[in-house]
Amino acid sequence: MSASHSAPTQASPMNVIGRPHPRVDGALKVTGAARYAGDHYLPGMLYAVPVGATIAKGSITAIDAGVAEQMPGVRAILRRGSFPPLGRAELDMSSADTTSILDEFRPPFDDDVVRYYGQYVALAVADSFEQAKAAADAVRVSYAVEIPDVDPALVAEKMTVKSERGDAEAGFAGAAVTIDQRYAMAPETHNPIETHATLAVWEGDALTLHETTQGVINHRNVVARMLGLPAEKVRVISRFLGSGFGNKLWPWTHSPLAAAAARTLGRPVKLVLSRAMTFQSVGHRPRIEQRIRLGATADGKLTSVRHDYVNATSILDSYEENCGEATPHMYSTPNLRVTAGIARRNIGTPTSMRGPGAVPGLYALESGMDELAVALGMDPVELRLRNEPSIDEGLGVPFSSRHFQECLRVGAERFGWSRRDPRVGAMTRDGLTLGWGVAACSWIAERFASNAAVDLRDDGTARVACAIQDIGTGTYTVMAQMVAERLGLPTDRIEVALGDTRLPAGPVSGGSMATASLVAPIHEAVAKAGAALIAAACAAKDGPFSGSRPEELDFVEGKITAKTGNRQAMGFDTVLKALGMPAISGSGSGTGTFMAPGKPTVSKHSFGAHFVEVTWQPETARLRVARTVSVIDAGRILNPLAARNQIEGSVVMGIGMALFEETHYDARNGAPVNASLADYVVATHADAPAMDVHFLEYPDTSLNALGARGVGEIGLAGTAAAITNAVYHATGVRVRELPLKLEHLMS
Amino acid sequence: MSDPTSNPFSAVEPNSDLLSVVLRINGASHALQIDPRATLLDCLRDTLQLTGTKKGCDHGQCGACTVHINGRRRNACLALAAVHEGDEILTIEGVGTPDRLHPLQAAFVARDAYQCGYCTSGQIMSALALLQEPCGPGDDEVREYMSGNLCRCGAYANIVAAIQDVRGQS
Ligand code: FES
Ligand code: FES
Repeated sequence: MSASHSAPTQASPMNVIGRPHPRVDGALKVTGAARYAGDHYLPGMLYAVPVGATIAKGSITAIDAGVAEQMPGVRAILRRGSFPPLGRAELDMSSADTTSILDEFRPPFDDDVVRYYGQYVALAVADSFEQAKAAADAVRVSYAVEIPDVDPALVAEKMTVKSERGDAEAGFAGAAVTIDQRYAMAPETHNPIETHATLAVWEGDALTLHETTQGVINHRNVVARMLGLPAEKVRVISRFLGSGFGNKLWPWTHSPLAAAAARTLGRPVKLVLSRAMTFQSVGHRPRIEQRIRLGATADGKLTSVRHDYVNATSILDSYEENCGEATPHMYSTPNLRVTAGIARRNIGTPTSMRGPGAVPGLYALESGMDELAVALGMDPVELRLRNEPSIDEGLGVPFSSRHFQECLRVGAERFGWSRRDPRVGAMTRDGLTLGWGVAACSWIAERFASNAAVDLRDDGTARVACAIQDIGTGTYTVMAQMVAERLGLPTDRIEVALGDTRLPAGPVSGGSMATASLVAPIHEAVAKAGAALIAAACAAKDGPFSGSRPEELDFVEGKITAKTGNRQAMGFDTVLKALGMPAISGSGSGTGTFMAPGKPTVSKHSFGAHFVEVTWQPETARLRVARTVSVIDAGRILNPLAARNQIEGSVVMGIGMALFEETHYDARNGAPVNASLADYVVATHADAPAMDVHFLEYPDTSLNALGARGVGEIGLAGTAAAITNAVYHATGVRVRELPLKLEHLMS
Repeated sequence: MSDPTSNPFSAVEPNSDLLSVVLRINGASHALQIDPRATLLDCLRDTLQLTGTKKGCDHGQCGACTVHINGRRRNACLALAAVHEGDEILTIEGVGTPDRLHPLQAAFVARDAYQCGYCTSGQIMSALALLQEPCGPGDDEVREYMSGNLCRCGAYANIVAAIQDVRGQS
């Protein structure tokens, strides 16, 4: 498909998969009728506003809430000791239980030690938001203050080898051409436009949370542990989510805090984080320093790749940014060594941000490859083509489906790369200097275990249900498409239920795995519902299939058909009506591949190439990303309209990563000082370039029957490197610290 | 006109700290008892449960709370509710409904001009105002006029395409 702006066609049932499909929840979103977590109100509901520490290291010596407690409407100023201590739920990504994960282990109010700016030290609860906010501001907290460590220069506690083959040192020493460079990336804050919100309501000993979460089941399990409840006593609902980009993947401390406040006060409690708080206490992509060493023969064959990286983490939690994820499989090289380390700082706990690991890692690797191309005097597309591996050399297994070279060739063609003059600053247009850059992208293709249920109803509609979330990627729509295709129905006959722990357990929406995880359980659920209908039809005393045996019948596209003979097929609604049954159900389940035990037999990744044109006007120091071409190999694309949107959105975010985004921590008190959308700059409408997105559609059935991988994150990988590579081509300045600043270019 | 004490979700006891105001919203009058500190945004949401208008920053930096006051677009988070008595306020709920979409809303659906949908009310309210503003015909001008509305999902290309469809400029 091409990315030209054509109006989407309404999909008919037969081609509902793979056609541009407008979102089934679109009308709710454009009218304000879609209700997000913070949009829920309950009778008697109180408002909570957290009080955050104004130091980043030290301890609380006193909390004076005397004034605050007397203010109008104030119900309580909660702090340590106001309710029984919350339990710990220490499970991270490496744990066997992949359904109760979090990044910040310490429960709120656990002790009087402050380890980062904004750590919650009290909670004001009042009848209205205005009253709670005023009360929170009136709480006086005294501290024994220590000097925090927010030093951006990172030295690892220790380095751990993540991947190794051959002798990287010897390969480097013997290389004809080498590159040895360091690349740093500023801390980024996710900044979904919806801030985190929790509405907690108790009925007896059962808790319901309306929550901003990318994983209702995981959230339920973690909060249940912290509150000392069996998981079945907690219900978590997240029907619409104002995205998250990772900072709503795992629960943060405000959520159990709201639940504890509601339990203590016997009233529903709503807690909505301010924008500033989302810079402090709900994760961020930490500062990362990387070193890339590449060795190559004079004709551009890699002889050694070394990739070492250190990320900042918090004092208590050991978050690792897995920057070397893509390095072992991206290019062919006999010798490779990837090492990683962490450095602790008085900053809140980091977390996954869109494309964790591979995105910053590929910024460094793809910058290094561009530097190598320059050192070799070789075209950077050609250099990458020459180092194509035939298998995943990191794992020693074949790729399920890899078409990276085609991404490069098609992208070069669409971009007009053959017209590139490699000399720095040699290309101009309308008085502007042009820079053309290229970079590769890659992202894992895996799936999580998931369940799903499908009901067929006598009115000819169907319902599909899964406790998964739609974080903006189009999950409602793709679920409807999957069922519509199986039943031969238009999508407006399919009701989709998601975002509620009462539904069949589903996975987190993360890692670009939601779609791939849903295929098997939904297909099975449809088949089971059809089988149940056949069984009921055969067993009925008086019905259209009475006397038939189940093995004589099939369920195809929503109809019962006889395997032999020319008997008329009959739709499920007609059969149900004949049987006097309002509905019949089927359920399905699928296994996960992500972090599955044992050595994989195949390497599953998506690939792509970004081509970027920047314009540079030295007289006014004006740098713009003018146009981009992205060619993505992500298996079969189920909804090109939503998929293209994902890649374009990632490219826009990549412009922010390359040019704007940086969280500044004040060395004196550890505060993120630019904690607002005015001071933390994200890309706006005016920054959006002309974007051409093209998908190579090679179905990858190693992951699911539809051949789909995922598209939520891969577009961000490589984008920043393609931009800084283009900047080098325009200006001759190699930017090795993101975000790029104009002073880099003016020196 | 609704009864001033009829908000079933408010825990606030009507008392002398509250102001009585009458606000005109989407063509209807609402007699309300509000905290004098309440922003128009919080008043719409917390007092009237008109939750289509979103809070993204509360500081006039994201555009998620965009409404029209007397026909002009404004950030509701930067307006005190109490000073808008007598003004005509239009929110996303007054533009169209899921069954009767405004052409701009229909264009947003057709173009997939959103992802998560959280900035969408504000984008549409700004775009609706833009249709009456002296904005030039090109995509660049639309981008400039829309740059007060952040979309972290980055659906900018589709938003501009949707607006240009309605303006007949695509
Ligand atoms: S909430 Fe008003 S501009 Fe962001
Ligand atoms: S659609 Fe998510 S912020 Fe715009």
